[in-house]
Amino acid sequence: MSMATEQPTQSLPQGVYLEKDIDAGELTVNIGPQHPSTHGVLRLITTIDGEVVRDIEPVIGYLHRSKEKMAESRSLFQYQPTIDRVEYLSAFFDHYVFVTSLEQIAGLKVPKRMQYVRMITMELNRIASHLLWFGTFLLDLGATSPMFYAFRDREKIFSLFEQLTGARMMYNYYRFGGANADMPEGWLEGALDFCDDFEQRIDEYEAIVTKNPIFLDRTVGVGVVDAETLIAHGVTGPTLRGSGVALDQRKDNPYCCYDEVTFDVPVGQNGDCYDRYLVRMAEMRESLKIIRQAVRQIPGGDTADLMRRRAEGDEAANDIELQIAGQKINLLTYKAPPGEVMTTVESPRGFLGCYLITDGTPKAYRCKWRGASFSNLTVLPLLMKGRLFPDLMAIFGSIDVILPEVDR
Amino acid sequence: MSDEPKENDKPKPSDGAEKPAKKAEAAAPPPPELGVCGKLLEGAGLKPVALPADAAGTETVQVDGGQLKQACERLRDDAQFDLLLSVSGVDNKTTLTAVYHLYSTKTKAKLVVKANGDKLPSVVSVWPGADWHEREAYDLFGIQFDGHPNLKRILMPDDWVGHPLRKDYTVDDPRLVWNER
Repeated sequence: MSMATEQPTQSLPQGVYLEKDIDAGELTVNIGPQHPSTHGVLRLITTIDGEVVRDIEPVIGYLHRSKEKMAESRSLFQYQPTIDRVEYLSAFFDHYVFVTSLEQIAGLKVPKRMQYVRMITMELNRIASHLLWFGTFLLDLGATSPMFYAFRDREKIFSLFEQLTGARMMYNYYRFGGANADMPEGWLEGALDFCDDFEQRIDEYEAIVTKNPIFLDRTVGVGVVDAETLIAHGVTGPTLRGSGVALDQRKDNPYCCYDEVTFDVPVGQNGDCYDRYLVRMAEMRESLKIIRQAVRQIPGGDTADLMRRRAEGDEAANDIELQIAGQKINLLTYKAPPGEVMTTVESPRGFLGCYLITDGTPKAYRCKWRGASFSNLTVLPLLMKGRLFPDLMAIFGSIDVILPEVDR
Repeated sequence: MSDEPKENDKPKPSDGAEKPAKKAEAAAPPPPELGVCGKLLEGAGLKPVALPADAAGTETVQVDGGQLKQACERLRDDAQFDLLLSVSGVDNKTTLTAVYHLYSTKTKAKLVVKANGDKLPSVVSVWPGADWHEREAYDLFGIQFDGHPNLKRILMPDDWVGHPLRKDYTVDDPRLVWNER
């Protein structure tokens, strides 16, 4: 506004440009599907009036890879490597719900040591996922450097995962009743080193971002939504917790060994983008707490100790709870008993669920993925109505939607 | 001599009569009874049918398609099931089923509601979050949700023919593009 008045307009005929009849009606703008800020391929049909968004319609399905049909055409074991791609930023959670669904149907018992490994890997994965969110969210708001910092720490987590599973993003590590292999020697030490290192890093990140006036201007009071609306729309995870509801599967229905560790569920107060940011940053600190406790409490301790005890003939070291897999099953010919269950897990984005129906054949009869992002995205039009267009990326970024999980 | 065949005969029919009964008992566990939510629905004048609980022990109720919306309203208002996790279509080869997974953020309880039929009332007015889930079930299974504000395809392209997750929809389906060539 001030720019326009400062421009030299004396040489122009007075008032010509002001009197010109401008069509001030609504304009439909197509955003995506190929757009970096959509974190995947999402199309938003946006109706704007000036800079105010009147309506927004997300169009999804550009990343649909028929994961659910694939489950019905191959055996459960053959299907397993492909499910990393359902939500590739936190693939351990995909595996966890799938494997746990089958374990519940078949009544397979998971050794305690393995449950702790699952807990540690999932919490590390939560940090990695939140870090990517942290980087891209700030990038959406125009800050480039947090992206590089976040990726540096994310690489450290991926190096840990690479030692453990052989892959940096597509792990395929869990197995029915356990996991692929025990941890490498010294892996727990590496996880602790990461925790020590990252605790200082996250202080640095918060020092850069949390009180940054530009960041505050872009996020405080933007995208405010109350908890009842979010719950009615099926929104879960940090997005809901930012509005003050402490809904967390890890506390409410503890799976793995979450009832044996102490941690808090951070919640926001105002339900705006800033609170959702604070919740996720606090969650990373809580994850560090969980990892530290889990490393201390894991039955059997480091693999090197366990191997030494076994070599020395210590019978207690061969206990079933210290094995990698509780019950050995032949994965290639395994036929799950008929049954059905829906397992949910607290993924970095909310309730991730796998509704599995088996019918006694090696294949799944039906495998339905309940992605947290799918439900979380439905609330975007509601949040954007009447907001300014530049708030779109702040609000969309703060919901933390990952499109592969939406489209499956 | 005459006693022996009688004795042999006697146990045989009795065995035969007992075996099917035992088999039936073994094959079909005792019919499930209505749980807390099922009784709540029954008290509201609806006719829920109890189904066996799932592998995690979650109560499962089958509701008649015509009563689905009333049942969902009762469950939301009286049993505090405020969070609809998902609507999953299932093709049972003879019928289509919509499976509603409910969760209560207050009591932390879970519930599974099933309704058979390819034409069901929409529950968008009960849980607004059902919108996309019902569109997905329509897209992939062809279940029509009456009263849905915007029932169109969501994952597949708008001009797609057929409903891909149905059991009769296979890779050699003539409607698929690569089979036309």
